[in-house]
Amino acid sequence: MTWHIPEPMALAYVSGEVQGARAASIEAHVMTCATCRSLVGREVPTDRLDAIWADVEELVDAPRPSWAERLLTRVGVPESDARLVASAPSLHLSWLTAVAGVLAFAAWASQNGDRGLVLFLIVAPIVPVVAVAGAYGRWIDPTYEVSVSSSYPTMRLLLLRAGAVVVASGVLAALASLLVPDARVAAAWVLPCLALVTVTLALSRWLPLLWSAAFVATCYVMPLLGGLHQDADVLAFVISRAAQLTALVVAAAAVTFMFTDPQLRAALRRSQ
Amino acid sequence: MIAATVHDVHRRYGRTQALDGATFDIGSGVTGLLGPNGAGKTTLLRILATVAAPDSGEVTVFGRHPANATERTEIRRRLGYLPQDPGFQRGFSVFEFVDYVAILKELSNRRERHDEVRRVIEAVDLTSVSGKRVRALSGGMKRRTALAASLLGDPQFLVLDEPTAGLDPEQRLRFRELVSHAGEGRAVLLSTHQTEDVAALCQDVVVLDKGRALFHGSPAELSALGKGRVWFADERDPHAELAWRTGDGRVRHLGTPPSGAATVEPTLEDGYLLLVGRFDEEAAA
Repeated sequence: MTWHIPEPMALAYVSGEVQGARAASIEAHVMTCATCRSLVGREVPTDRLDAIWADVEELVDAPRPSWAERLLTRVGVPESDARLVASAPSLHLSWLTAVAGVLAFAAWASQNGDRGLVLFLIVAPIVPVVAVAGAYGRWIDPTYEVSVSSSYPTMRLLLLRAGAVVVASGVLAALASLLVPDARVAAAWVLPCLALVTVTLALSRWLPLLWSAAFVATCYVMPLLGGLHQDADVLAFVISRAAQLTALVVAAAAVTFMFTDPQLRAALRRSQ
Repeated sequence: MIAATVHDVHRRYGRTQALDGATFDIGSGVTGLLGPNGAGKTTLLRILATVAAPDSGEVTVFGRHPANATERTEIRRRLGYLPQDPGFQRGFSVFEFVDYVAILKELSNRRERHDEVRRVIEAVDLTSVSGKRVRALSGGMKRRTALAASLLGDPQFLVLDEPTAGLDPEQRLRFRELVSHAGEGRAVLLSTHQTEDVAALCQDVVVLDKGRALFHGSPAELSALGKGRVWFADERDPHAELAWRTGDGRVRHLGTPPSGAATVEPTLEDGYLLLVGRFDEEAAA
């Protein structure tokens, strides 16, 4: 004779009153008995089943966060913003590996005389600028068209990504600078880097980010290369107090100018 | 209801005049945008999707001007856009890509956003592959993924650039069902080379050529342009503007029929081809 779950027991199970071994026994039986499955199924409230199913769907569908996304959420960036930021091409592992390689080469070169030190002073500030250029833009981001036509503030997206990639590449540059034999040179790239990045972002009000970065990088690199060609003391110039102060003033001016942009102010208000 | 207006819009890319005074209105329902390659369709759609700005002329969407930053954001909140060549983030699955676009559309509540993502993925019949990487999918499935993203948030104005490119016949039928449903109470602008899609779906048609709107009317009115100008014969007539041998062995001709030729009812494609062909003659004259 086939045994079936009595209705009172089914009701008790559905309402959560049956626990432990007895509940496990009911569950095992329901898996093999269509009649009891139907009985228990009838008694379970539909909204509860829907809620359980929605939870299952959520668990199955939920995107797996990348390492960058996990790091960003850990430092307090909202989950949705972290997804957008972590999708910046210049935060991909392949990009960061390439950057680390370039910086390691520059750090190695810095141990071979003044010219090597100048090379490090050229490369270290430029790397974050290139990373900013690789963070967002028509030729960089495959979803650029869709992101521009969406209501998410473009300026906010740009700044969030720029901030993340500058920190990532800046950390790599800082690590590379530990290998530089001259302590003054190891620190001298920071202010020029700050100035170059902020001017790049300020110029992006009129120019595509890529062009803006290319223009700024050229304006920094060409005079230094020209000086090297003419045997000028480029190293002394870059690490001089006057040059460092100029970089600080330029960075401050670029930031002040950016704050005149109503889009930027709106983007910052949104983040508060 | 007028969803969008385009008035005397010009746009140049280097030496190419992509739009040259295009003027027309887009009402509710599905409007088809037909035109040969290089007619300016994609440029016009990008302008309406607020991705590009015109050099001159006026564009409004729901009475708002894309040139104004605040109004542009209001337009974008009511817009769904499928670009001609949609790109996908590297390594993203279908669900992750649509979820990414949902964040861009400011659906920040995770649970509600995921529910909406599931809804649009189901609408384009991709639920079974929602966990697969987009780059591993066929061209048609990629297109449907991008289409799903454009449907997020139930937009009031849907701008679709060649949405049926790469879809097989069954998928195209499903797409028609989807767009026809989307066009109820909303505005859909559909750029396509497929005159059958326009005939099957659209209440209005705009024919764009050389950056100008050559025609704006109903599909029936576009077909009627071929009235008395389509005929069959056993052999090819060298005076016809266009002629091709059909499946039954007879030659279908478009142009000015010879005396005595028995003309047939024109299709929308006939009207379109004759219209675009006539424009070429006028420009050359």
